[in-house]
Amino acid sequence: MKRPLLLLFLFATLSVSAQDIKLSGQVISATDNSGLPGVNVVLKGTSKGTITDLEGRFSIEVPNTSVIVFSFIGYKSQEILFTGQTNIQVLLEEEPKELSEVVVVGYQSVEKRNITGALTSVKASAFKDLSVNGIDQALQGQAAGVQVTQSSGTPGGGISVRIRGVTSISASNTPLYIVDGIPVETGALGGRTFGGQSDNALALINPNDIESISVLKDASTKAVYGSRASNGVVVITTKKGKSGASNITMDVQRGIIDPTHKLTLLTSSELLPLQREAVTNAGQNPDALGLIPGVTDGISTDWQDEVLRRGIMEQYQASASGGDDKTTFYISGHYRNEQGIQINNSFQRYGTTLNFDHRLTQRLKLSTQIMLTRSLNKRVKGDNFLDGVYSAALRSLPYYTPYNEDGALVGPGSPLYAAFPNFNPVAQALLPRFNTVTVKTQGLIKGEYKINDNMMAIGQVSLDYNDVTEDQYESSQTAIGGWDQGVGGQGLGVFIAQSIATVISSGRVTYNKDLDKHRISALVGSELLQNFATGGSVSGRLFSSDDFTYLNSAGLIDEGGSFRDATHSIVSFLASGDYDFDDRILASLSMRADGSSNFGANNRFGYFPAMSVGWRISNEEFFKSQVVNDLKVRGSFGYTGNERIGSFAYLGLWGTTTYSGSTGVAPSSLDNPDIKWETTREINLGTDVSLFESRIQASVEAYEKRTTDLLLSRPYASTTGFGAITSNIGTMTNKGVEVSVTSVNLDGDLKWKTTVNVSKNLNKVISLVDSVPLYRGYILDGVDGTNIIKEGEPMGTFFGLNFLGVNPATGDAMYEDVNKDGLISNADGKVIGNSQPKLFGGVTNTLSFKGVDVSLLFNFSWGNKILNLTKGNLMNMGRDVLSNQIPEALNRWQKPGDITDVPRYELNNTFNSYHSNRLLEDGSYVRLKNLSVGYNLPSAFASRFRVQKIRVYLSGTNLWTFTKYTGTDPEVSTLDGSVSAQGIDLNTLPQVRTIAGGLTISL
Amino acid sequence: MRKKVIIFSVLFAALVVFNGCENVLDPKPIDQLVNDVVLNEPKDIPAVETGLYRAFRVMRPSVVLAGDFTADNLIHNGTFAQYRELGVKQITTGNATANEMWGSIYGCVYIANFMIERIPEIPGVTNSVRGRSIATARFLRGMANFTGVVTFGGIPKVTTTNIEENRTIPRASEAEILAFIEEDFLAALGHLGEKASTPAIASDNTVRAALARFYLYKKDYTKAEQYASALINSGDYELESEFEEVVKKDFTSESIFEVGYTIADDDDGTNLNNLFASRREIIPSNQVIVALASPESGDRFSSIDFKVENLKGNDNGWEVAMYGTAVQDNNNIVVFRLAEMYLIRAEARALTGNITGPNSAQSDINVLRERADAPSVGDVAQSQMIRLIEEERRYELAFEGHRWYDLRRTGRIEQVMPAFNPNWRPAFELWPIPQREIQNNTALAGNQNPGY
Repeated sequence: MKRPLLLLFLFATLSVSAQDIKLSGQVISATDNSGLPGVNVVLKGTSKGTITDLEGRFSIEVPNTSVIVFSFIGYKSQEILFTGQTNIQVLLEEEPKELSEVVVVGYQSVEKRNITGALTSVKASAFKDLSVNGIDQALQGQAAGVQVTQSSGTPGGGISVRIRGVTSISASNTPLYIVDGIPVETGALGGRTFGGQSDNALALINPNDIESISVLKDASTKAVYGSRASNGVVVITTKKGKSGASNITMDVQRGIIDPTHKLTLLTSSELLPLQREAVTNAGQNPDALGLIPGVTDGISTDWQDEVLRRGIMEQYQASASGGDDKTTFYISGHYRNEQGIQINNSFQRYGTTLNFDHRLTQRLKLSTQIMLTRSLNKRVKGDNFLDGVYSAALRSLPYYTPYNEDGALVGPGSPLYAAFPNFNPVAQALLPRFNTVTVKTQGLIKGEYKINDNMMAIGQVSLDYNDVTEDQYESSQTAIGGWDQGVGGQGLGVFIAQSIATVISSGRVTYNKDLDKHRISALVGSELLQNFATGGSVSGRLFSSDDFTYLNSAGLIDEGGSFRDATHSIVSFLASGDYDFDDRILASLSMRADGSSNFGANNRFGYFPAMSVGWRISNEEFFKSQVVNDLKVRGSFGYTGNERIGSFAYLGLWGTTTYSGSTGVAPSSLDNPDIKWETTREINLGTDVSLFESRIQASVEAYEKRTTDLLLSRPYASTTGFGAITSNIGTMTNKGVEVSVTSVNLDGDLKWKTTVNVSKNLNKVISLVDSVPLYRGYILDGVDGTNIIKEGEPMGTFFGLNFLGVNPATGDAMYEDVNKDGLISNADGKVIGNSQPKLFGGVTNTLSFKGVDVSLLFNFSWGNKILNLTKGNLMNMGRDVLSNQIPEALNRWQKPGDITDVPRYELNNTFNSYHSNRLLEDGSYVRLKNLSVGYNLPSAFASRFRVQKIRVYLSGTNLWTFTKYTGTDPEVSTLDGSVSAQGIDLNTLPQVRTIAGGLTISL
Repeated sequence: MRKKVIIFSVLFAALVVFNGCENVLDPKPIDQLVNDVVLNEPKDIPAVETGLYRAFRVMRPSVVLAGDFTADNLIHNGTFAQYRELGVKQITTGNATANEMWGSIYGCVYIANFMIERIPEIPGVTNSVRGRSIATARFLRGMANFTGVVTFGGIPKVTTTNIEENRTIPRASEAEILAFIEEDFLAALGHLGEKASTPAIASDNTVRAALARFYLYKKDYTKAEQYASALINSGDYELESEFEEVVKKDFTSESIFEVGYTIADDDDGTNLNNLFASRREIIPSNQVIVALASPESGDRFSSIDFKVENLKGNDNGWEVAMYGTAVQDNNNIVVFRLAEMYLIRAEARALTGNITGPNSAQSDINVLRERADAPSVGDVAQSQMIRLIEEERRYELAFEGHRWYDLRRTGRIEQVMPAFNPNWRPAFELWPIPQREIQNNTALAGNQNPGY
């Protein structure tokens, strides 16, 4: 598409001539703006031509309206239409090559081959055809050492990303995400919980605007991010314009979404005898409890079918990029709508991006990057909420029906309404309004000033602003809005608004110098980061009818408040230096000092040095190999930190409280003046090898991370007057190995490339203060917590009784009496398993033949356990008769002599359903995560429509899964984002299978 | 060139962004006070005192649950493990309600100790203000320890705000704690004024009521009768003419002390209105319904309500009426009211042989029977009278947190409870020391209550 250029040159065409005209100009490199010597300048279709001089200048006589080709080894050729210009400037861009790929590390870009730390880069092509909602989803299975788990199939929902294991027990183990130099908000933004599945700030960033993602994994690559880099750093670079021809791309994608799996539950006629047996076993009369054959089981509703559906996804996107030698731009806009598989659940997003660079003078360049996004998340409750939708559909008794004879939804007050705890899940999906609107504004302005050939000064200011508004109404026909008169009664309206902003200003000076065989680069800089948060909420009830749903119409506004968080700040100073000797020895050294407002004056600053060395053996004289064309060994060592504990842990504070109409103060937290940075020491050893003319490239990494001074809210004996104190409480390590191999198997007309990554990470809690274990997860009958943090065990360790089977004589469960006191109690709990996989990874195969390309990604997780609490409800041994059961329950013990592993059913007996390893299952799986097939139509065909490129494609996610897990889906976590209690399935919505088709047109 | 210099300077200025870096790193808390400034001046005292009352209030719902739910007055109708355990009598050391009570006892003790330590050092506090605020602290500390000792047995005796000391503090003996409570109550008496402006605030009368109950539990019947009579004879309180008023209203004329809620201050912890009325997690047992429906109970039947739409499966359709209806807010929780003083005196008199006649156990019981429109108690023997008082306490004080404590105190628990639920074990005469406390306080290791 050369039309804009043509337009530009129209003015020059006034002096038309048939004669050869003298054209002179200069060819410069787009990389460093220097003149390129030795460039071939040829009149297209002839042998007439010349080459450029030392400064890249040339002069040639050519006929008017002819095409001139500029070509140079290592650069992309360029054709220019000559229409009588006398002096032109031609920018040549470097040919991208795998080995000389440039990746963003910290504040600089480095040639990938010169990396001495550990990083993985993922290019947009790896996920361009997939229906991924966010960047975290795009990373799944793509990078060694990066474990990505979607918490559920909820659109716009939480996704856990762990880089080289977890390093902290405290809240945050999320990596730091940097988009074009702006650290962005992650995690949940919403102010109200929905029973387990939270929203996800990263779902606000459009993956289609992304050019590449670098995952920084070791101390040396992360070190310049010092303070917040312990959990790894994901550096995201968005698409930028390039000088030259403008390019417009349009993309349409539409698809269908289905649950990967549904559970089999009992029908009414199967459930009723089981419940009657439970009641009879408890010595009660089942008829008196209303469990009457022929009456109670007259209806059998499949609640899963009632609340699940096939969702539709659609996405439309357009972008334009281009520029000239002074100005480049990239603009894009998109709209995405994804329906959840639960009725009335959807996620919509639209947004726009502008990246703009302008070279003001030879020395000064200004750029701006602006991203605006708005999402509308129509949410439904789930997981641990009795009034959820999918969660309630699993539990709800089949005896009830969603609609009455008139087709109206059954609600409170109707005799058909089951009420607590079987609230009509269909009404719970359709009636409430839970609209979360998030507006994200992200902006950056940056100035780069070239002080001299070696020095550059860079200053930038950025903003990440997230505004969340939650507009909610639960009608009088819902559980909370109607049935629970204490909360709603006649409708419940809630409005929550919050804004979270991060402002960063930073400046740095860089220095680069090449001296013969020595190459030196250095950087010094400083940065100020500030987080602001403020918000308010109000709720009201007693609406005159369900036609009035906003708080203006509430009869009583009974709760509300507002807050502002004290501004959180980090002040940083950093310096780094790189040295390269003859492309053989590579070394770097860096230091960052961070001061955080989260710590008291005693320990406000943390210091994070790092160093790395690499040796390119293949460039040594003694190294001669036909096979190995690049071989490098490298090592790094350094420190990173974590300060994400919230403000004022160093102060003892009193907050406001009320009593019978007067307002007073009450202690809210205990002071710990000595609290200090959590520090991770990391060692990384790696080697990169490239074989058979780069046909095979492999990297192997081994690392050890040791986190000391773990920050945690440490439980205190309540006799102190406090339940906990925030303090530095322990040490944890992660050790692991990562292997990634890329092989170009075929490179003819048929191209076939395979990429494999496999990771193993061993996490271990080394020490805890006073050696006291910490309990996490859920408190259930028989245990203090489903999870334990204990010395010598990894994070994510499951805790519970040891189930020994069913006593054939009595039908009761048998548990191991660990402390041998003759009683089965909480004190008999022990470690029963772990949610961390022994091995995980992905295999990607890409094939292309002529215009057709195919990409398959399999990912796997091996050796992890899942705690199936869904089954805890659905096979509850008669603990209550309020929920449906699964067919396995029919194997229960019924009479002496029965050999079974399902204890007998007895109403109100909790002993047989005490929390034990009975509910622990192998969560290993292999999954065809992504498959895409694309076809680029022949350009001759495309040009008939006056377009450059037409591509059609088909993609699918979660198409096939192999697992022994008996729940709905092995990729699950109800406690979304939890570090200590991941891998629990509690009525969690399963993953979804998406099949989408798309069309891309480039003009 | 000059232009370039300007641009360069601007850019460089962006580098030097920090001139007040230490200020930036030292923000001031918003809407919170730092420890050191909480209690420095005379004007700070009322706010801390309010905080102490609030901490005391946090404890009260768990007292109601201990007293009525551990015994035979309430059953479980919901899904929460902590309540199911209490309902089906399979109480474990991890029980969250036991945990909450333990935490709230020491939350209250901490603020009381904080006041006792700090107030004498504040300059410019008048003697009467100092005496009154320290008496408030000692009285409520005594009440917290009383709840602790009757629920858990001997508990750690915490007398300071020293965190390190209190992190590893062993259980004191029951006798030691009782002596400590008596000391606090007697020290408070005489400094709080005869009658407070509202029953939400303690007065000398409140301390007397506490002493009456204390001595009844300690089986010192002479003193129990003496303090109960002091209140009955004070003329400051009179029984409501209709029992229903006691159920439905806050701050009745017979209220001696009750923890107050307004619409603005529901506690974060246990909310009885929510448990009993709006979510109906916990409902009256069939046995208590039968007892309250008896002629002897009379009007006291109004402490429960029936809604036919709730009658379904396990749910008998009845609910506790004392803590507000579902649409209402939390009602106040009564700590002491005049009717209990009659019952204390009746029991003290019955046990000291003053069974019938004027100014006897009989006359005290009949005051309550008359108010409830129930038949009077005739001339009965001592053993019968003692059982009548037990039943009378069940009618009159249902859902105010007494039943379980009464049954243990009178030694009747092993006769009553196994018949109510076959899962009952003698271990449940006390709640377990919370497992988390044993885990986090090495001095408690190996000192769990027997049977857990």
